[in-house]
Amino acid sequence: MSLLECRGVGMKFGGAAALTSVDVRAEANAITGLIGPNGAGKTTLFNCITGLLEPTSGVVLLDDEDITDRPPFKRARGGVARTFQRLELFTSLSVRENIQVAGEIRNRWSRKDRLDAKEECDRVLELLGIAHLADRDVGEIPTGMARRVEMGRALMTRPRILLLDEPASGQDEQETEEFGVLLLHLCENGTAILLVEHDVALVMRVCSFIQVLDFGRIIAAGTPAEIQTNQAVLDAYLGEDQNA
Amino acid sequence: MQDFLAYTVLGLCLGSVYAIAATGLVVTYSTSGVFNFAHGAVATFSALIFWQLRFDWGVPAPIAIFLTIFVFAPLIGVILETVVIRGLRGTSEVTRLVTPIAVLLGVNGAATWIWFRGGSRNIVPKKFFGGSKVDILGQAVFYHQLIGVGIAVVVAIALYVLLFRTRMGVTMRATVDDRTLLMLNGGRPDRMSLFSWAIGASLAGLAGVLLSPQQGALQIFALTLLIFDAYPAAIAGRLRSVPLTYAGAMVLGLSKLYFDWASDAGQKWLALRNMRNAIPALLLFAALLLLPQDRLRGTIVSRTRERFHVPTMKQAVAWGGVLIAVVFMLQTLMSGSAVISLANAMALALLAISLVLLTGYAGEINLAIFTFAGIALIAAWQFDVGPGGLATKESLSVPAILLSICVCAIVGGLIALPALRLRGLYLGLATFAFGIVVYQLVFLQTAPLKADIFGWKFTINFYTTGSLTMPRPDWFGIDFNDQRNFLMLMTVFFAVIGIGLIALRRSAYGRMVVAMKDSPAACATLGLNVTRLKLSVFMLSSGISGLGGLMWACQQRTLPNNNGFDGFQSLTLFMIAVVGGIGYVSGALLAGIFLALLSVVMPNIWGKLGSDYPGLHWLFVSVFGNFTKFVGPALIGIGLGKNPSGIAHQIMEGFRPYRRTPVAAAVWAAGLIGLWFLAWRGVIGNWTFALIVVASAVIVPYVIKAIFADRFEDDELAINGEHLDQIGLGREFRASDRAMLDSALGITSAAAEAEVHHVPA
Ligand SMILES: Nc1ncnc2c1ncn2[C@@H]1O[C@H](COP(=O)(O)OP(=O)(O)OP(=O)(O)O)[C@@H](O)[C@H]1O
Ligand SMILES: [Mg+2]
Repeated sequence: MSLLECRGVGMKFGGAAALTSVDVRAEANAITGLIGPNGAGKTTLFNCITGLLEPTSGVVLLDDEDITDRPPFKRARGGVARTFQRLELFTSLSVRENIQVAGEIRNRWSRKDRLDAKEECDRVLELLGIAHLADRDVGEIPTGMARRVEMGRALMTRPRILLLDEPASGQDEQETEEFGVLLLHLCENGTAILLVEHDVALVMRVCSFIQVLDFGRIIAAGTPAEIQTNQAVLDAYLGEDQNA
Repeated sequence: MQDFLAYTVLGLCLGSVYAIAATGLVVTYSTSGVFNFAHGAVATFSALIFWQLRFDWGVPAPIAIFLTIFVFAPLIGVILETVVIRGLRGTSEVTRLVTPIAVLLGVNGAATWIWFRGGSRNIVPKKFFGGSKVDILGQAVFYHQLIGVGIAVVVAIALYVLLFRTRMGVTMRATVDDRTLLMLNGGRPDRMSLFSWAIGASLAGLAGVLLSPQQGALQIFALTLLIFDAYPAAIAGRLRSVPLTYAGAMVLGLSKLYFDWASDAGQKWLALRNMRNAIPALLLFAALLLLPQDRLRGTIVSRTRERFHVPTMKQAVAWGGVLIAVVFMLQTLMSGSAVISLANAMALALLAISLVLLTGYAGEINLAIFTFAGIALIAAWQFDVGPGGLATKESLSVPAILLSICVCAIVGGLIALPALRLRGLYLGLATFAFGIVVYQLVFLQTAPLKADIFGWKFTINFYTTGSLTMPRPDWFGIDFNDQRNFLMLMTVFFAVIGIGLIALRRSAYGRMVVAMKDSPAACATLGLNVTRLKLSVFMLSSGISGLGGLMWACQQRTLPNNNGFDGFQSLTLFMIAVVGGIGYVSGALLAGIFLALLSVVMPNIWGKLGSDYPGLHWLFVSVFGNFTKFVGPALIGIGLGKNPSGIAHQIMEGFRPYRRTPVAAAVWAAGLIGLWFLAWRGVIGNWTFALIVVASAVIVPYVIKAIFADRFEDDELAINGEHLDQIGLGREFRASDRAMLDSALGITSAAAEAEVHHVPA
């Protein structure tokens, strides 16, 4: 049984199909990769999982429970958190407040185990290595750091699974290196991760299982080693290079 | 049965005109993403132009029609699009709603100025072909009405051909979906938007000309409201679909006429006399309920950053104290009538302050503030004063105030419910419709409502006598019938609510509210029930507006039922509040002052100048006076696109030097207090005092900057308004920029100089 599973998810925008019968799953205690060329439908799938989009067909299961008809906030309360590829930070708030408010929101729906939002926020800032930016405006920090703020915000809800949409873009090599270690650390501490990332090296390094999306369909799934040698995957990426 | 058919025919005729009006809205919205609140005003203006040409100057009908519909109306549309609407791209939903409201007030103001400047006037547009009728299904129908049906059909066909059979139409439909994508593909969204505004204005003009004879003598605001009636049809069409809009328009027209039929043309059900006028607004609510859930909005990447500085609690309390002290000192210098003006301003500020929470913090919209004031008034009056009420008191009691706050909060929650899951625009429209319903069914209701709930009999008095007189409170043995005392009471209320709002903003709740404004989508993925939070904010803010409304009513003492409850005053207040800078509590204060200045004080000043210099009467009264009264507020609102953070923000920026140099600020304040003392003792005149205060406010910051230059060094980096991290964006990067960045980063000048040569200048 997977922690998170999409079964036959399809999504159409007008006439154009962005996703066609997609099966994707992510296990507990693991980092699962989801890769694919630009426009493959990765972000669209995230939107279907978190409820920001209603898929035209298929179901989303969390712990084998069908959550397809639940509104986004209920899915979040069920333990699904995410970051956004196109940043969705609270621009009126400082870095610290962005993270703290997520804890305060959590305290509203999780009354049984409340957390001290301030303390937790300090811990997360430290963990993500952005404590030095705490009092800055989110509008004035570099994108790479802003992505970490979004991740910190998501972590404040103590999610069971964290969906990351290209978290490493905007970070340099050194930062990406550290970031990989951080992901493994989170995973060890019980947060499952579904990672969408264009930095294939990072994906290969941290993921135990990878699924490949192309033109809205899953074309391959397997361990990093299997994916690296998969002909369909190579074609998809090479095809992209030739077009570019 | 015969009757029923006849009413059906008339209903379809009316529906046709609504269809024309509503389609205009849909066309503009679907290409520019701006809901044209000014649609009704454009229609009214066009109807007046047509009247001028056709009936005043006797131009033959076909020429007059051509000039109105194909020349003047589209011209208005084109002007609006280029001057105003284009600047709204990438601004917040509130700005995109406020600006057309300003245009509405401006166009109506201009029409009043041109055609009604001398007061009331008998402008009677006539029907086409006079009173000629034809018999359809036993109902005599005017040719005029048939023309309306014919035009509706022609418009429908023409739009279908345009949108689906021409390249232009395809591009028009694409514009709103993704203008960047369209531009990348060689489309020209600006031209499309321009074209659609011309069409929209033309359709508004048609509807205006067709509807204007309905009224008898033309009244500007009434005709504008008549066009508002068509809005539900556009909503039924989801602001996108022309066929659905037509269907909605027919439902509208038929509902009105079937109501006539059922009520024997208003002979039956006297208590529901005004129901006919409320039907469109009620249908708007119905249409909102039918709309599908909106996708949760993400961050608006706005062109101009609308960011507000939040004061600390200490600052908030200090400013509250300063406000109370300043108002107290000022009123000692003021004459009785000036105190009344200031008190009016404070009362309006108390009304506007509820918008700080709702609009400033939460980014939501309420276009019926005065309606809430009226509801609070009725509730408190019923409780304290009204015959059949619970108590008959000479003064406003605390329980009555609490009761009306609760009533407002509950009513607010109920009306917001259908719109909460939708975009902010819809909440705005719902509140506006609510304002109209309450105006028609409650404020204009003179019969008392007798109720009998399980044997508990009671009577609720609405505006039984056409006006209500509100007693003022009587607390701590202070006589608040004294205008000065009441001014101070309102000031204290304002300060306390203001401090409370800032405390709220700094709390966890406040952070959630602001987060919700910035990105509802992100909030939802953190587990926040956005709809519920919005509901709580709306209820809280409605409650505050109830309190503000009561104070405003007490200030006015006697309020006739037509005083500001028809919706336009709420629109004006909302607009001015946003312009004042609604993200700040001080923005609400500014709004109150502006509104009082524009509507009362300035016209008085121009009037006085006019009578002092009779030779220049035309200039002062006819030009300046009318300008301030009719067009001034609108112009202020239209400028908003350029400065969405509002005036309060700019003023604060201007006063920054004081914050950096507390000692200088203290000296300045002490100087002013000294001056006030002199003025109070009569040593210097009040005008002298006022002049010195204003002049020093402008000059002293510069002096401080000159003396304490070292404290403002980092400001120099923001040369010409460019911030450090944005230097060189959007223009060529100059060597001087490099030097500036180097010095800011502390790179030694020698190294910097060596580098400069490598930079192409
Ligand atoms: N709101 C929308 N309306 C119409 N089409 C959309 C919408 N959102 C996404 N699409 C289309 O769906 C397809 C998948 O887009 P998506 O953003 O999910 O891809 P992605 O895999 O995340 O790409 P990238 O790697 O560039 O982020 C694309 O063709 C895109 O144009
Ligand atoms: Mg993506």
